[in-house]
Amino acid sequence: MIELEGLTKHYPNSKKPAVDDFSLKMAEGETCVFVGPSGCGKTTILRMINRLVEPTSGSIRIDGKDVLSADQDQLRRNMGYVIQQIGLLPHRTVRDNVALVPRLLGWAEERTLKRVQELLGLVGLDPEETGGKYPHQLSGGQMQRVGVARAMAADPPIMLMDEPFGAVDPIVRSRLQDEFLQIQHSFNKTICFVTHDIDEAMKMGDKVAIINEGKLVQHGTPMEVLSQPAGPFVRNLLGEDRGVKLLDLTKCQDLMRRDEGLLQKLQGNPCTIGALQPVKAALEVMLRKDCDTVTVLRGDRAVGALTWQEIKGHIHGLSGEDHEL
Amino acid sequence: MNFDFAAFLEALIHRSPPHVLEHLLLVLVPLLLAVAISFPTGILLTRPRYRPFAGQVLALLNAGQTIPPLAVICIFLPVWGLGYRPAVIALTIYALLPIARNTIAGISGVPLEVREAARGMGMTAREVLLQVELPLSFPVIMTGIKTSAVLTVGTATLATLVGARGMGAVIFAGINFRRVELILAGTLVIGVMALLLDRILTLIEYALTPRFLR
Amino acid sequence: MGSAGGFLAYMEGIGEFWRGILTFIMENRQRIMEYTLNHFSLVLTVLALSLALWVSVGILISRNDKTANAVMGISNILFCIPSISLFGLFITIPYLGLGRRSAALALLLYAMMPLVRNVYKGIKSVDRYVLESGRGMGMSAAQILFHIQIPLAWPVVFAGIRVTVVLITGIATVATFIGERNLGRLIHHGLTRSNSQMIVAGALLVSLMALLLDFLMGLVEKKITSPGLRE
Ligand SMILES: Nc1ncnc2c1ncn2[C@@H]1O[C@H](COP(=O)(O)OP(=O)(O)OP(=O)(O)O)[C@@H](O)[C@H]1O
Ligand SMILES: [Mg+2]
Repeated sequence: MIELEGLTKHYPNSKKPAVDDFSLKMAEGETCVFVGPSGCGKTTILRMINRLVEPTSGSIRIDGKDVLSADQDQLRRNMGYVIQQIGLLPHRTVRDNVALVPRLLGWAEERTLKRVQELLGLVGLDPEETGGKYPHQLSGGQMQRVGVARAMAADPPIMLMDEPFGAVDPIVRSRLQDEFLQIQHSFNKTICFVTHDIDEAMKMGDKVAIINEGKLVQHGTPMEVLSQPAGPFVRNLLGEDRGVKLLDLTKCQDLMRRDEGLLQKLQGNPCTIGALQPVKAALEVMLRKDCDTVTVLRGDRAVGALTWQEIKGHIHGLSGEDHEL
Repeated sequence: MNFDFAAFLEALIHRSPPHVLEHLLLVLVPLLLAVAISFPTGILLTRPRYRPFAGQVLALLNAGQTIPPLAVICIFLPVWGLGYRPAVIALTIYALLPIARNTIAGISGVPLEVREAARGMGMTAREVLLQVELPLSFPVIMTGIKTSAVLTVGTATLATLVGARGMGAVIFAGINFRRVELILAGTLVIGVMALLLDRILTLIEYALTPRFLR
Repeated sequence: MGSAGGFLAYMEGIGEFWRGILTFIMENRQRIMEYTLNHFSLVLTVLALSLALWVSVGILISRNDKTANAVMGISNILFCIPSISLFGLFITIPYLGLGRRSAALALLLYAMMPLVRNVYKGIKSVDRYVLESGRGMGMSAAQILFHIQIPLAWPVVFAGIRVTVVLITGIATVATFIGERNLGRLIHHGLTRSNSQMIVAGALLVSLMALLLDFLMGLVEKKITSPGLRE
């Protein structure tokens, strides 16, 4: 568990603090996404957690132990850090870049190389083809993957990721996100993930921390944030299509009506959707096939139905004044 | 070492002044000649037609720079004999290199996109040179000229060896007669000369720099 | 040369002159060999001392900008002093005197500028995000110095070493005037005896040595750069 308490950073020669009385708890195994406009202090917070920046005041505890009194180098070796600017060592091959921390930790060479092999595969790079290349021979997206692999190399329980997918096009980004979510589910790491892309935040986060001008504006699950945005800043950040975003986060099985009578009537309904699909996909089916009701299937079995009613009701549950969806 | 302050003052006040002008000529003439030769050549070598040769010329200039100054000063002696002429020619050749190198490097260093933007706005090649390339590379070119100037002030001391007089006469006299006062006085004068020349060139650079780039 | 005959005579004169130089070199090969070895050993001595001293200084000052500016200011001033002056001043200092000690010390000071500057520049030019990622992964200050800063600065440092070698080879010739028995001595004696063949022979041999060293260092330079830094 990571606890930030009253964290403040005042850079010399600047009027306003970059991070201002910031308090937050992250549970073990949780992915917390920091999101906010450029310059709001996201990077500064991450860098205080691994002590690349010393806080002006406040405290940081990991599993109850005060970070500020720990040995810096040891602390950092146990935290993966994906730096915003990637920062691969240009004079080392991809393989040696990924092997950096294991070697610092004194792993046996054989184990290190095996790990490198495994990691490159994990982030979708061919170990044979890419391993011997130098950073300047890679594309921006490939470099970012190497950066992620490098941070994960020693299997640290905590990962700090500063816009790890910033330099790739939307298609590759979405694929990297999916791959990463899978990795995350199987490894159970505590992850601090920084982005300024609100959609990425909603997709990747167990929790989302919305930051503005160094202050925590809202902290909660994506669903909470979407349904009860705390004030105009968050509403604005979420955008006009907050309702649709909400539908994207809700699975059909969570919203469907389990009404046997209705299901009887709907026999042979051409509009169907999988129970684990987002409601947004059900909406798409409705619009495309021009029907008012969608049958929700689990396997071949109809388990429920979704109608306009539920969807509208769900969106209307949103707080805030803009209900004209 | 027995240092005689009176002798030092004597060397500074009476012995050095006649050589100052000689030394200055030994510096300024080669420097002007070097600028007159290197600057246009450097520009020429960055034009599209001659650009392919720029690399080779630079390699040649770099090789030239490795030749020891004493060797350069002396190598023309058999052809032109003793006197000012071989010294001026040698010093000119020595001063050419940094200026040409920095002219080429400076102009080639103007970012391609800046040049293309200028062309894209309809500037002719000549306008691009005069209004974009030269103003932007001017500081680098001036650095080359300053480097040459300071180097030449020092190297010109050796010109005494081939019969061109200058501050070298004072210093070599000091070495030959073990008179530390002479050496110090000569060195001091040369140092001040190098410093002043550098200052003056900096002022010229400032005066010639377009206001927005200052 | 108005006529073809005159031109031929002129060419013959030139041929004569160069043959004279070759003869001179052949006849004095033993002495020239001695001079060359002396020259080379002085350069090597100074190089070894300079590397030990100035590379450390360059690394040290890269940690503090104020000191760096002061140190580099000093090295620039030293560099502007004519070589003959520095040699001349040192021989009047009792312990140094005429000969190698003075020569070596003066050359050591000339080596300061290119070496310190290039080490400093090389270390400072390391991308700050590369440094940060090193720190972020828990590398210690020493590990960052030896695994990141020095390898990345190495091409620039080596370029500085190359310049230094060529520079001290050239300036060492002037040390003949304070008693060094090296290739500069051919020029020196040629001048005092008005023997132009001797002068040209000296100038040529000295230039040859400098060019050769530069060429060799250039070859090494290509070899040692990490393939990740080429291009
Ligand atoms: N080393 C520093 N010295 C002084 N000010 C700094 C420093 N680093 C960051 N700042 C300032 O602190 C504020 C927060 O910067 P930070 O890098 O944390 O923002 P960010 O949220 O990561 O932005 P981005 O999304 O653009 O990366 C900015 O106003 C920035 O100018
Ligand atoms: Mg940032």
